[in-house]
Amino acid sequence: MHWSPGPLRSGGSAPAMSVWNTAASGGDRSGDDPAEEVMVKEHQSVSLPGAMASSSAVGMTASMEIPRKRKGCMDNQDTKSVSMDMDMEDMEDEQNGSDEDENRHLKMKCFREPHSQIEKRRRDKMNTLIDKLSAMIPSCNPLSRKVDKLTVLRMAVQHLKSLKGSSSSFSEASYKPSFLPNEELKHLVLKAADGFLFVVGCDRGKIVFVSESVTKILNYSRVELIGQSLFDYIHPKDMEKVKEQLSASELYPRERLIDAKTGLQVQADLPVGAARLCSGARRSFFCRMKYNKISIKVEEKEFQASTSKKKESQKYCTVHCTGYMRSWPTSQLGAEGEEPDKQDSSHFSCLVAMGRVHSHSSPPVNGEVHVKPTEFFTRCAMDGKFTFVDQRATTVLGYLPQELLGTSCYEYFHQDDLPHLAERHRKVLRSKDKIETNCYKFKTKYGSFVTLQSQWFSFVNPWTKEVEYIVSTNTVITPTSRSGNKSEQSSNYKTSQEDVNKSLPVIPGSSTTPGAMIYAGSIGTQIANELLDYNRMNSSPSSGSVSPFSLPHDKCPQTPNQTSNNMPNGEAAGLVIPGKSSSADELKGAAFSGAESVMEENSQLDLDSVVGPGLSSLGNDEAAMAVYMSLLETDTNAGDSVDFEEMHWSL
Amino acid sequence: MTADKEKRRAISREAARRRRRVESEVFEDLSRLLPLPPSVQAHLDKPSVIRLTLSYIRMHTLLKGEAWTKAQARHRVKCGRVMNGGEEPREHDGGREEEEEEEKETEEMEASEETNLYLRILEGFLIVLSTEGDMIYLSENVSKYMGLTQNELMGHNIFEFTHPCDHEEIRNSLLLTPEDVWYGAKRDLVLRIKSALTPRGRSTNLKSATWKVLHCQGRVKVCVAPSSVSCLLLTCQPLPLSHTLLSTHTFTSQHSMDMRFTYSDQRITLLLGFSTEELLGRSIYDLCHAMDINHLTKNHLNLCFKSQSVSGQYRMLVRSGGYVWVETHSAVIPGCRPSKSRPDANQPLCILCVTYVLSGVEEPSLQLSVDQIVHI
Repeated sequence: MHWSPGPLRSGGSAPAMSVWNTAASGGDRSGDDPAEEVMVKEHQSVSLPGAMASSSAVGMTASMEIPRKRKGCMDNQDTKSVSMDMDMEDMEDEQNGSDEDENRHLKMKCFREPHSQIEKRRRDKMNTLIDKLSAMIPSCNPLSRKVDKLTVLRMAVQHLKSLKGSSSSFSEASYKPSFLPNEELKHLVLKAADGFLFVVGCDRGKIVFVSESVTKILNYSRVELIGQSLFDYIHPKDMEKVKEQLSASELYPRERLIDAKTGLQVQADLPVGAARLCSGARRSFFCRMKYNKISIKVEEKEFQASTSKKKESQKYCTVHCTGYMRSWPTSQLGAEGEEPDKQDSSHFSCLVAMGRVHSHSSPPVNGEVHVKPTEFFTRCAMDGKFTFVDQRATTVLGYLPQELLGTSCYEYFHQDDLPHLAERHRKVLRSKDKIETNCYKFKTKYGSFVTLQSQWFSFVNPWTKEVEYIVSTNTVITPTSRSGNKSEQSSNYKTSQEDVNKSLPVIPGSSTTPGAMIYAGSIGTQIANELLDYNRMNSSPSSGSVSPFSLPHDKCPQTPNQTSNNMPNGEAAGLVIPGKSSSADELKGAAFSGAESVMEENSQLDLDSVVGPGLSSLGNDEAAMAVYMSLLETDTNAGDSVDFEEMHWSL
Repeated sequence: MTADKEKRRAISREAARRRRRVESEVFEDLSRLLPLPPSVQAHLDKPSVIRLTLSYIRMHTLLKGEAWTKAQARHRVKCGRVMNGGEEPREHDGGREEEEEEEKETEEMEASEETNLYLRILEGFLIVLSTEGDMIYLSENVSKYMGLTQNELMGHNIFEFTHPCDHEEIRNSLLLTPEDVWYGAKRDLVLRIKSALTPRGRSTNLKSATWKVLHCQGRVKVCVAPSSVSCLLLTCQPLPLSHTLLSTHTFTSQHSMDMRFTYSDQRITLLLGFSTEELLGRSIYDLCHAMDINHLTKNHLNLCFKSQSVSGQYRMLVRSGGYVWVETHSAVIPGCRPSKSRPDANQPLCILCVTYVLSGVEEPSLQLSVDQIVHI
């Protein structure tokens, strides 16, 4: 896939300008700096074509990629659109000087952007940079007046000199200049990765090296760990896993690798044994590692109350280990080196890896999301049948999850609440928002009723945009907390009652005769069917095969005519379904704002920005495919281009 | 009249020229002070000089009071040793200094190699972002991933190099609440970044750049005094799906774009108890714990829009009851494996998942889902 950078080309278009303006915010200052202006102009008049090109290249640097580009212009852009401000470009320009002129000619045709604009952007950028610089230099800060460019630069020179003076050991004497001292870079890497580096011998799992940062993560000091067996610090159940990863032998002959291009598993046909390890074979695995409990006394106390099993698992955290196999000929190992396996191998093999603690959430073992004990989750099919029940339901309802699973939630609702809950049920199926129910009574296993309040939302598959099921968070309402918002609830109840009155005749199971429970479940079925009918009538719903990329496209603000198409649908449906007139708003909500809630940021994506306008005329599937193809193509290839052999490591 | 004008013009031209000369000299001074190889220094243009200076100063500020000074202290200790050496008989002095120099050189070399090792193992590069999204620092190996060198990128804004559709997400990540700063909050996002690498690993220029999907993880770092710089430390890694030894605790599966199973390897039966046939056509959303749905949805959206994703940890139900913690790495790949169950296979895209099982079966006696109930 080609994208075209360079405001020089796309700069003429309105979005480009706005993007530019945000990028170079505060850059307006140049306007009231006439001296600057003159200087720049003179600069232009003196400079050669090559220099001019370089200044325009500068202009491009700060540009962002513009989603909508003009197809027609793309061909002409190719010859020179490097948006770097390195001298390479300049040289390149000078080399094809004659080409350059021709190109500029073409460019002029495409973009009638006045040269002054380009110049202004360049100045703006420079000024922004100078402003930023002056903000970072201590000696500039106390000066209240605006410092001119030259002064800022001079102060920068002074500041840099003082900085270098204070840390001369790095910048002057290092054998290769670098922006960061090595020590510091290592530190930053580990800090960013939230991990530690370790080296483990393959034969016995002996820890040969571990970085200082392990202290922060596992709470063991480095000295404690070095020389120990890694397996002493691995969860017993993960031992096998780690052994397998360290294994050099044929104990696990079925090395499974995966081919990212085809997605097929390939049986490794690498040479076996040591050679496999030499090659810098990559390893990536998860294991649970022990951490020292001393520092987490508070947590420990907490867990005294819980089961012993939990307490046990509390000691571990999940670590993602990524790295390479490494091996050295034993002859190269010094006297102090790890004593090699004398008998068979002439190589000392080890795993060099980075251990990262999982950043997504707390380790799984203590990852119980803190939910109030009076809360539990359930998942219902569209017709209200329980498909998932959280174990905490048992404490509240008395039922084991398996007793509830497969039954309809309507079987447990108190009759008085049925109309309201049915109405909410309808609502949730048509809305992408979370829907709160009023307090309602749920029949427990012992025949009594417990008051619950639930928050429902229909889970919509991001790809098909179809409802998969309803997720419900149920909270037990104690009488005290209930009285708090009673007034609000009662008013809610009234309105919903009215709605329900209309729909009452439609619901077969809502007769008040006792023993009607058997029919209760059919209320849900009825409601689910309503939705299906509604979908059938509505011409737009996506079947599984339709690419959803058409949807965000439709919702794109640029095409308001498309969105308006949806409205008649929603209203029509509202009219057809009896008792549903009140929910017309929800329907609209579902079609527009509601739908965005899940996808919010992503729905901004329009295909053009990725594929280019040329492709959007293709079928959506093809276009989407094109996106993926291009994405995957580059990525897998680049990912594999790592040269393992360059890897050096000194013991 | 005209002559006068001409004269005035000439004067101002001369003044401007002088001005430019002075400016250029300052720029040269500045570029010479930058920790760059002379070959690079000589060819920097003016904005680049400022850009890199800015980065250098920012990094310095950021690290003040940390290892920068630690390393300095180490240096001082060494200097001290040299000075102590000075008290020894004179004739030894020269030799010792040389020795020190040599020692330092090799030490330096080793340190750099070790650092390279860190980055290599990371299989990615390090990026330090200011709260405005300026890339204050990038590790040198960035060129391997983006095809652009450290010097070309440093000081630029990340928004210039990332997919417009990811900007909102980046912006959100850059928002630092006081709590974030205090606790060093973590960040985790999947981004598309410009890559000027050709499929063969050579770099071209940006015009033919492609999007590369990177998994960026890291944390907020703050430095308080004197001028506070808050930043994000991120490691950016391509998502590796290939060439990893899959352990016995890993299974692979393929899904249609709506996350329904179209294929799964035998190992899933061992790990989750579901037979591969049983899973065909089932949605992954049926198999997960209800509390992890948001997690999976985000993962799914990443896949739809960015083509690759890392799920983070979530719970997958086990057929016989209970659940296991897993993490899935997935990518959208073109073309489904033609199978007997789906001979048409005209779905052009399919999701490939590698799922790592992280834990044993937890709460094995619990039946949470209809799928776990034994049908007799």
